[in-house]
Amino acid sequence: MSVIDEQGRPEPPVAADEVTTLLGFLDFHRATLRWKTADLDTAGLTARLAPTDMTLGGLLKHVAWVEDEWFGARLHDEPTDEPWEVADWDADRDWEWTSAGADSPQELRALWEGAVERSRVRTERALADGGLDTLARRPSSDGTTPSLRWILVHMIEEYARHNGHADLLRQSVDGLVGE
Amino acid sequence: MTQNTLDTRITEPSATADETEMLLFCLERARAQFAWKVGGLDADALRRPFPPSAMTLGGLVKHLALVEEMKMAEFVDGEHLTEPWRQEHFQADPEWDWHSAASDTPEELYALWQRAVARSRAGWAAALARGGLDQPSLFTTDSGWSPNLRRVLVDLIDEYCRHTGHADLFREAVDGLVGEDPPQAS
Repeated sequence: MSVIDEQGRPEPPVAADEVTTLLGFLDFHRATLRWKTADLDTAGLTARLAPTDMTLGGLLKHVAWVEDEWFGARLHDEPTDEPWEVADWDADRDWEWTSAGADSPQELRALWEGAVERSRVRTERALADGGLDTLARRPSSDGTTPSLRWILVHMIEEYARHNGHADLLRQSVDGLVGE
Repeated sequence: MTQNTLDTRITEPSATADETEMLLFCLERARAQFAWKVGGLDADALRRPFPPSAMTLGGLVKHLALVEEMKMAEFVDGEHLTEPWRQEHFQADPEWDWHSAASDTPEELYALWQRAVARSRAGWAAALARGGLDQPSLFTTDSGWSPNLRRVLVDLIDEYCRHTGHADLFREAVDGLVGEDPPQAS
């Protein structure tokens, strides 16, 4: 029963419980990134804003990787999704950022939307299993295992910060602004 | 530590952190990340424009100080805003916080933000001790809805992270500083 705003985004709930609120904010931020990258062609998605190397297309591919990494690989210890499995990370640690320039807008959007959909299914499964206290099945490199609560909050923060990047990148492409 | 050096320490939450501990940790981390990207700058850097954006690093500092205080005043403790947040400033210019930052010294801007954070930290602790995140805030919409403190706190974290995204790019242009988290003393 969420309110849809002028950009078609579902607003986060006003007075809900922890799960509904966190999922609401995450979906609002996914919708914000969709808005900030909408209707752009390759020129728009590869446009540069000095001095950063980030592009809007790179953001879409990076965030797709983040979704699969946290909700698939870390939370459920699932095999790595494509195209991350075949990517040559040894040759380029920033592969998802740099390879985005060669992907069409359609490919980039499909990749990101697919990752979001996978994340939603994976989140529902984990919530059903053990709620927000469910621990990630694959530990971090330091041996810690974050909870689903930690993962959801981290995703909100990461989306919010990247939407800040997207705000400036999009504004420099065609002047589109807005929170 | 010079006067213009802001606190960028991050204290990890316990492994069994509940919702309140987790969100308060996230707010402190968001403040530390923001402080890292906007701290220790001189007046030229804080005033520097980054076209086509109208924002500046100094404007970000003053805006977040206002956000912290307004959340307190409108939602959490109801205490009125004090200097410099006069109504007549905002009646003349709804974006007074952004625009007036250029007239403030770095010391004034950083002190303003630190004072707002101190007030906010105390106010959140007191409010959450009273009855947790499900409590309705002090604000009621025309249609009778009250955001709960959970919504208000996540909004505040959210706003910090989004503006740190802006600060990421501005700071990189100023002196090349990049990175997600401020370095921590080991």
